Amino acid sequence: MEPAEDWLVESLRLYQDFHAFDLSGATRVLEWIGDKGILVAGYESLKKNEILHLILPLRLSVKENQGLFPERDFKVRHGGFSDRSVFDLKYVPDTRLLVTSGLPGCYLQVWQVAEDSDVIKAVSTIDVHEKEGRLWPRMAIFSSAAPGVLHGARLSSLKVVDLESQKTTYSSGISDDELLSSLQVLDADTFAFCCTSGRLGLVDTRQKWTPSENFRPGSGSAGGRWCAEAGGRGPGPSIASLGSDGQLCLLDPRDLCQPVSLVQCPVSMPSPDPELLRVTWAPGLDNCLAISGFDGTVQVYDVTSWGGMGRQVEPLFTHKGHIFLDGNGMDTAPLVTTHTWHPCKPRTLLSAASDASLHVWDWVDLHAAR
Amino acid sequence: MVGYDGPIYMTQPTQAICPILLEDYRKIAVDKKVVEITKHIHDNRALRYVELLPLSGTVQEPQSTSNAFTPPLTHWLLSPCILIPSACETPGTSPLMLVDDELEIKAYYAGHVLGAAMFQIKVGSESVVYTGDYNMTPDRHLGAAWIDKCRPNLLITESTYATTIRDSKRCRERDFLKKVHETVERGGKVLIPVFALGRAQELCILLETFWERMDLKAPIYFSTGLTEKANHYYKLFIPWTNQKIRKTFVQRNMFEFKHVKAFDRAFADSPGPMVVFATPGMLHAGQSLQIFRKWAGNEKNMVIMPGYCVQGTVGHKILSGQRKLEMEGRQVLEVKMQVEYMSFSAHADAKGIMQLVGQAEPENVLLVHGEAKKMEFLKQKIEQEFRVSCYMPANGETVTLPTSPSIPVGISLGLLKRELAQGLLPDSKKPRLLHGTLIMKDSNFRLVSSEQALKELGLAEHQLRFTCRVHLHDTRKEQETAVRVYSHLKSVLKDHCVQHLPDGSVTVESILIQAAAHSEDPGTKVLLVSWTYQDEELGSYLTSLLKKGLPQAS
Repeated sequence: MEPAEDWLVESLRLYQDFHAFDLSGATRVLEWIGDKGILVAGYESLKKNEILHLILPLRLSVKENQGLFPERDFKVRHGGFSDRSVFDLKYVPDTRLLVTSGLPGCYLQVWQVAEDSDVIKAVSTIDVHEKEGRLWPRMAIFSSAAPGVLHGARLSSLKVVDLESQKTTYSSGISDDELLSSLQVLDADTFAFCCTSGRLGLVDTRQKWTPSENFRPGSGSAGGRWCAEAGGRGPGPSIASLGSDGQLCLLDPRDLCQPVSLVQCPVSMPSPDPELLRVTWAPGLDNCLAISGFDGTVQVYDVTSWGGMGRQVEPLFTHKGHIFLDGNGMDTAPLVTTHTWHPCKPRTLLSAASDASLHVWDWVDLHAAR
Repeated sequence: MVGYDGPIYMTQPTQAICPILLEDYRKIAVDKKVVEITKHIHDNRALRYVELLPLSGTVQEPQSTSNAFTPPLTHWLLSPCILIPSACETPGTSPLMLVDDELEIKAYYAGHVLGAAMFQIKVGSESVVYTGDYNMTPDRHLGAAWIDKCRPNLLITESTYATTIRDSKRCRERDFLKKVHETVERGGKVLIPVFALGRAQELCILLETFWERMDLKAPIYFSTGLTEKANHYYKLFIPWTNQKIRKTFVQRNMFEFKHVKAFDRAFADSPGPMVVFATPGMLHAGQSLQIFRKWAGNEKNMVIMPGYCVQGTVGHKILSGQRKLEMEGRQVLEVKMQVEYMSFSAHADAKGIMQLVGQAEPENVLLVHGEAKKMEFLKQKIEQEFRVSCYMPANGETVTLPTSPSIPVGISLGLLKRELAQGLLPDSKKPRLLHGTLIMKDSNFRLVSSEQALKELGLAEHQLRFTCRVHLHDTRKEQETAVRVYSHLKSVLKDHCVQHLPDGSVTVESILIQAAAHSEDPGTKVLLVSWTYQDEELGSYLTSLLKKGLPQAS
């Protein structure tokens, strides 16, 4: 029997629920609108890319009587076209606005989701001054009555721009031009940054630049490329930093200089594209995170009782769907480009891969005591 | 109802399956008490001429047939149905069929259900393709829809599911298998009410494929009667199924199942797990309802509804969440068994529609069955990707499409060769004037040389020649004037063949220019410009050019 059919039989045991979709173009973006809709966007160069607002199949949204909802398909609720590759997309909460970042051209594009039709239209741009053409600014949204876009490709160019007035309301004001890999807004006044070197810090926008920072893990340039996410639930460290060689560092925001643990995740090789590295905390489970960007899998870890340095860890669950359901039969296995957790269903994740596949899966915790 | 009594074109499987589908429909219609359809089960060998009756409600006894199954009291009559000759290979088309001397139709394989087809309708050089329901992804028993680069003026496609991105077939199947597996594992019974045709076969094949792998021992049954008849039809129409099935058919008949057996009423009372496919599909009567009543009270059991249920049927009630049903005799049935609603219907989604448009390459696309507000993005997508106009008319709205019909004209080889022999080679960017005669005969258009046309018509040829005199002030001799004319024309008329002949005359293509002295005024030279009717345009141009005078000699 074909390996795909084998895996499908296995999947009866491994997943509660499993959906697999084919988008018209691969996405590096999975951004939630509420808990029922997500946004995806294409990243091909030399081609018009689509930005789609997809509504989740009804069966994933209802809480009771799931069996009575046969709908398993995504609905395209809104769509738009982008001439550029889209590498990041953020939804501005409580508005009908989206902001995208990509290449070519170093600027942010602001879009509006139409109310009376299904079109997403480009409305304005936010200039970003960056000389190096291949860099694209990272983004995060300060949502408030007057939403602002935090953006920058380097520490020195970090700014917050008011979306409506286009005025700069915050600037890092430093000359350190280290490259950024991720930005994350934590509350109305604080954001976290992570540089490609692994240097990360928490910044209070009300003060002049004095972030609480870590020392860089690894030694100098041999440290690989890093990204990070804050947000762990439950007691224990709430910041996770992931390196392109599979190292995972857990930190406590109160003392970034002393990492709580540093472990090695079992990855067969360093990430072929460290820009795709993703580490995310589960919003519905304690001490649980997921990583992707090394191959065609998404790995879920339980970080409870991780301590110390250098140990090897094993994932709680590995999603291999993108490898086995590769419909193209191409020699190059697909690479997972991004993943995200469902905001309400504790063990449901969405993952996208370079072959334009999009999976929604609800994994079974085989370790849990019955 | 609309008063049509002309021929109805359908594919062979449709003609055979039609009566069964209508029989199923009739049962629901009776429930709805909307119409009484009179029906007659066809002997599927013959092309019968029968008349279409208006829906008047007369019920007649059916003629006795040799079939064990006799239809209940309904009579349904069809106009002559003409079978589309087999072109059911996938990918496949039928040959072009002439309806009359102007209208041609062609059927394309549509997947979706056995015998489904998309139709191309052609009059002259204009054509429309109407898709109906189609499926661009192959499933277990049918291939995928396919159309060639027929470039119709218009492609009409339904867009109900155009704004969906479909979950993969594998995941739908997985969900079905999971439900069956879980129920059977806990010792429960699974009831799957099905229509006579369609999903039953698909699901049988699916279970058959996985039963061994999943190491399940529980029996799978399908109810006798219509489902068997359907399998019989499927065997007849194996060429209409997909390649995989046809390949295995050679080794072993895919429709003779190893694990799926014929059902006997008594089995419903057997203890232990089992899976049963039973008709009818909406649990509104018959065997499936009987079994449902026996199994409903046990929460270990499951009923899987594989499709839409009409209001009023038991199927519809339980899918709405009803757990207490009133049966005949005021008996209340408590439904404790698990109710699952699964949709297996296969329609084209956004991706499928784009694929089909890409294959057919129409000039225009028309989307039906959608809501305008929800189609704007798809319309833009189609327009951008294929550079065609896309329309979304509302019900009752008329759309007018401009077309540019082409009239093919054959040109005689002799004429072409003669043209090529004259003067410069043709330049594809420059229009070149060609003289010929268009003969229209027997719906045939030919462009031939005038001589040829005259010969065919038996007429004598007449030649028209124009001569014009242009007076030029020039005191030199005629020969020198001729040289001046030659040089001037050569420099101005770079695209034409200008020659200076030994006898002193100048030719431009076939136009002759001769210089002569004026009889009375030695300071004036007379240019005789002479051309045939065919060269009128160039001749007139030359004349006016020469009238402007010659440049001063250097």
